Amino acid sequence: MEIGLGVNAAPWWIWPIALFAVSFAIGIVAVLAGVGGGVLFVPIVGSLFPFHLDFVRGAGLMFALAGTLAAGPPLLRAGMASLRLVVPLALVGSIGSFAGALVGLALSTELLQISLGVLIIGIAILIWRSRSADSADVEADALGALLRLEGEFRDPAAGVTIDWRTRQTLLGLAAFGAIGFVGGIFGLGAGFANVPALNLLMAAPLKVAVGSSGLLISVINSSAAWVYIHRGALLPLVVVPSILGVMLGSRIGARLLGSTPAPVVRRLVIVVMLLAGLRALSRGLGWM
Amino acid sequence: MDVNDRRLRELYARWLDIATKAGFAISLGAFLLYVGGVLPAYLPVDELPRYWTLPVHRFIEVTGAPSGWAWLDELGYGDGLNLAAVALLGLVTPLCYARLLPALVAERDWLQAALAALQLAVLLAAASGVLAGAG
Repeated sequence: MEIGLGVNAAPWWIWPIALFAVSFAIGIVAVLAGVGGGVLFVPIVGSLFPFHLDFVRGAGLMFALAGTLAAGPPLLRAGMASLRLVVPLALVGSIGSFAGALVGLALSTELLQISLGVLIIGIAILIWRSRSADSADVEADALGALLRLEGEFRDPAAGVTIDWRTRQTLLGLAAFGAIGFVGGIFGLGAGFANVPALNLLMAAPLKVAVGSSGLLISVINSSAAWVYIHRGALLPLVVVPSILGVMLGSRIGARLLGSTPAPVVRRLVIVVMLLAGLRALSRGLGWM
Repeated sequence: MDVNDRRLRELYARWLDIATKAGFAISLGAFLLYVGGVLPAYLPVDELPRYWTLPVHRFIEVTGAPSGWAWLDELGYGDGLNLAAVALLGLVTPLCYARLLPALVAERDWLQAALAALQLAVLLAAASGVLAGAG
């Protein structure tokens, strides 16, 4: 029987309330970790809530979009997000994301669940193993110099001002095209990959990488979101409580970013992602 | 350079802030009208649990829910109005880029202006639904 009669015993109004609470909490953690939140939202809601993965991915994309839109103004005003860096990277990322969203809606649910589980576990390991790069004394490459991908960032927590510029800009652009594509397929903000690409590959300071990642997601997801809107993959009862929760949560997260010990948040994100990834994988393989 | 960058950042932040807060308020208002039963629902909320386990193509087949731009015809329903509110959030970034573009041109930052113009074109093409096969 395909229509889920009798499957959901709980009254309907439980789900939007639970979604709001989960989204609020993810919103705080996501900004602190420099991720859009979709990477937490999609596996958690896809595993623990009764909605089909198509609607969860649509909501995940809107969730990441709403959270990063809300976090953008304080990040920009604090100098933690660089518009100069975001404009070229977001362009290639949004083209990739749009293509990824079209591909994602054409794949089978089981394949998506398995791929999502493998991807999330892989990302958790990547975050666990990656270290922050030192952005001092970086020589700008020709493309980075042409685009003037540089800036000055005053870190209030460390009490220092960092003059930064990017390296390996062409490779960075290619990476953001690929990251956007994967993010579009799974309805993720893809901040998990933005931060290492900006920090480790292009040598942007870590907090500029985290802040700019948020702004990048807000631009990139704006194009993929329309694929889900036009394909009818947004259920208001799923999407709206999620975006209201994350918009409130991420405002708080953006204010806490300057003063929160990053290792604590990082460990929390890794544990949650491992659990959510394992659950998505086991669902895809039919183990639960 | 940094003074110009700071000015552009502040401009973008101001527009982003206003548009996002407006989107939040509209989404909240539309959602309360929807779940509070003030507006009729195209698909009643208490019937949704029967269908939200279906993949999206089956959901549309079974419920006749709108796709493409068809939701514009359903604005009198609570769920249609909520989709419009969500779609407004998809327009926040194009709006901010539309404001950023003339500022970049005024700064004679031609390369960044060209990239911003291309980004705006991509966002508007995505929103139009032409590339996504929206009806």
